[in-house]
Amino acid sequence: MRRMFAIIERDLRKFLRNPLVMAVSIVMPIIYLLILGNSFLGELKHLPIAVIDRDGGVYAERVLKNLEAIERGPSTIAIYRISSEGEAMRGLKEGVFKAVVILPQGFSKHLVKRGSTEVGLFIDNSDVVSANTLRTALLSALGSVERDFIAVRERTHGVRVRTVEVHPKIDYDQTLIPGVVIMAIFLGALTTGVFNIVMDRFLGTDESILLTPLTKTDIVGGLVVSGLIITTVLALVVLGLSSLISGIYLWKTLTLGGFIGVVFIVMLSTLSLQGLLFIILGRADHPRVVGVLGGFLNVILFFPSGAVYPVESFPYLLRLFAWVNPETYSVHALKTVLFKGAGLNAIKGDILFLAVFALVSIAIATLTFKREL
Amino acid sequence: MGDVAAIETESLVKRFGDIEALRGVDLRVEQGEFFGLLGPNGAGKTTLIRILATLLRPTTGKALVCGHDVVRECTEVRHLIGVVPQAMTCDLDLTARENLDIYGRFYGLPKKERTEQIDYLLGMIGLEERAESLVATYSGGMRRRLEVARALIHRPALLILDEPTLGLDPQSRYVVWKLLEKLKERYSLTILLTTHYMEEAEALCSRVAIIDHGNIIAVDTVEGLKKSVPERDRVELTIDSPPDVDPVQAVKTLKEVKTAELKEGVLTLTVENSQRELPLIFEALRKEDVKIKEVKSTHLTLEDVFIHYTGRPVRDEARKVSFFIGAGVPRKWGR
Repeated sequence: MRRMFAIIERDLRKFLRNPLVMAVSIVMPIIYLLILGNSFLGELKHLPIAVIDRDGGVYAERVLKNLEAIERGPSTIAIYRISSEGEAMRGLKEGVFKAVVILPQGFSKHLVKRGSTEVGLFIDNSDVVSANTLRTALLSALGSVERDFIAVRERTHGVRVRTVEVHPKIDYDQTLIPGVVIMAIFLGALTTGVFNIVMDRFLGTDESILLTPLTKTDIVGGLVVSGLIITTVLALVVLGLSSLISGIYLWKTLTLGGFIGVVFIVMLSTLSLQGLLFIILGRADHPRVVGVLGGFLNVILFFPSGAVYPVESFPYLLRLFAWVNPETYSVHALKTVLFKGAGLNAIKGDILFLAVFALVSIAIATLTFKREL
Repeated sequence: MGDVAAIETESLVKRFGDIEALRGVDLRVEQGEFFGLLGPNGAGKTTLIRILATLLRPTTGKALVCGHDVVRECTEVRHLIGVVPQAMTCDLDLTARENLDIYGRFYGLPKKERTEQIDYLLGMIGLEERAESLVATYSGGMRRRLEVARALIHRPALLILDEPTLGLDPQSRYVVWKLLEKLKERYSLTILLTTHYMEEAEALCSRVAIIDHGNIIAVDTVEGLKKSVPERDRVELTIDSPPDVDPVQAVKTLKEVKTAELKEGVLTLTVENSQRELPLIFEALRKEDVKIKEVKSTHLTLEDVFIHYTGRPVRDEARKVSFFIGAGVPRKWGR
């Protein structure tokens, strides 16, 4: 045990002497939060559309006003009034506009006389997300025109939905926090633990460790524990900073039990990832291998974890993968504790999975660790 | 330990795939010896050292360190040996004291013993004043001295040094030599040294083995090895001899002169010991009125011995192989 502590101390001292690594380990997940939070935001903004009004009638004017109201309010669209159809279509092809809306001649007249009419919508369907949003925006602009032709009494039997949010309102960027913490844990686990072995091998300094009476357990255990200490501290700093940035004040919302739960989840997640990375990278001898595999593993573990998109919406095979992915359980447990204020009982399944995963993976990593050159 | 050898190998073979790095090495190094292992890169000396250091397992054969089998009793062997690897392996992000302290803990040394040993070793290598500086700020020579101190932290019975002065400037090399001489004088430590520098082996080693293509091809003291080769010291005399005198015949009457040849006024002789025999040669030539204008004398070196046994100079080989290493030979091939 004394020898393992020496490995831990060596690793911690070396880490603390590299403030740049520490800073990057904290800043990178925060940048993820800022980029993901501000790029997705859960809804689209300022989609440029060209509008051509060939009608000029009262209802065409009303549709235009409705569209302008959307532009001013939720800002989903940015309207460009164009007179030339050719210019509008060219802009659509070149990507200047996401859609072209044409209110044809006789739009208002047909609406009054026949009760129905048509609007031309040319849409850039190479961007499916924008296309769907624009279609919805246009339908809502047309909706109020339609309502003028529906008798009020016909609406009286409609089913109204009253939405009740069971948890305090959570913004999109706040929902990313568990993912950002998991990202910090992954980066921490990747830059500590097995990475030290790979770097020692690359620099040829592993020889000096292998010459000593240290056992496999001393080496793997020492590096895992030092990685656990570093990663847990980094992940908690990232949690604190990302909460501040996204406007959740955890010291007000999180109980002591909740905080202990978060620390526990962070530690188990770190151990699981340390063990997994040790198994995968335990025999690598070049940091480039860590770079390539690290980037790949980050993507395949992070995105199917439910951090960005709900696991329930995944196709069957991806759901199977999510089922064995430790990050899925980490995200679920963190969301449960951070946003729902639930106790340990609600996350005992997650904790059990992570604990078993960590134990098994670290045991395999120790057994498969090569004690010779 | 009695008459147990510090190192004993029997028919030691190591194969890496189709490559046979060691081809049945038999070697015995007695306790207290300063033993040199000479060989070009790829000869198998690093592979042999790595087997003795428990870093590689032999394919067949047996290797014992102070009577302990390197495979079955690897933990005991690790406690008995101190190794200075070829690469600089001290942690650059730690100070000299931290490096020594952490390695002392790897060997399970208690704090008091560790502190005393660290102070003593830092004094011995002359780094007390820089003990709290990061190793990253050290010169190559300082790092190498620290590597030697680190290998001695647990008071090993056998110190193995793999090319300890490779890449050092002459001044740093001299300092490391002095340190090794000090170790040799003061302790009953067995030292195994591999080197490309023949003068290093001549200056430090009591016995030397020449290894090539995975075989030990000669083992003896430096003097014994020199005697084992037909070449001798060489003397070149630029002379002015009377026309009726044959200077070759004049010196050939001396039994100490093995060969003599005259070419363009230069008389080239091979002798047993040039320092001892030069006065006799001068006297023989003076009797025949031969005037000596210039004298050049070269001694038989270990390099000559090495060339005799391997057919090539060791440093040329070293240069070639180091380029080969740069091209990415895996470490396991025993570079």
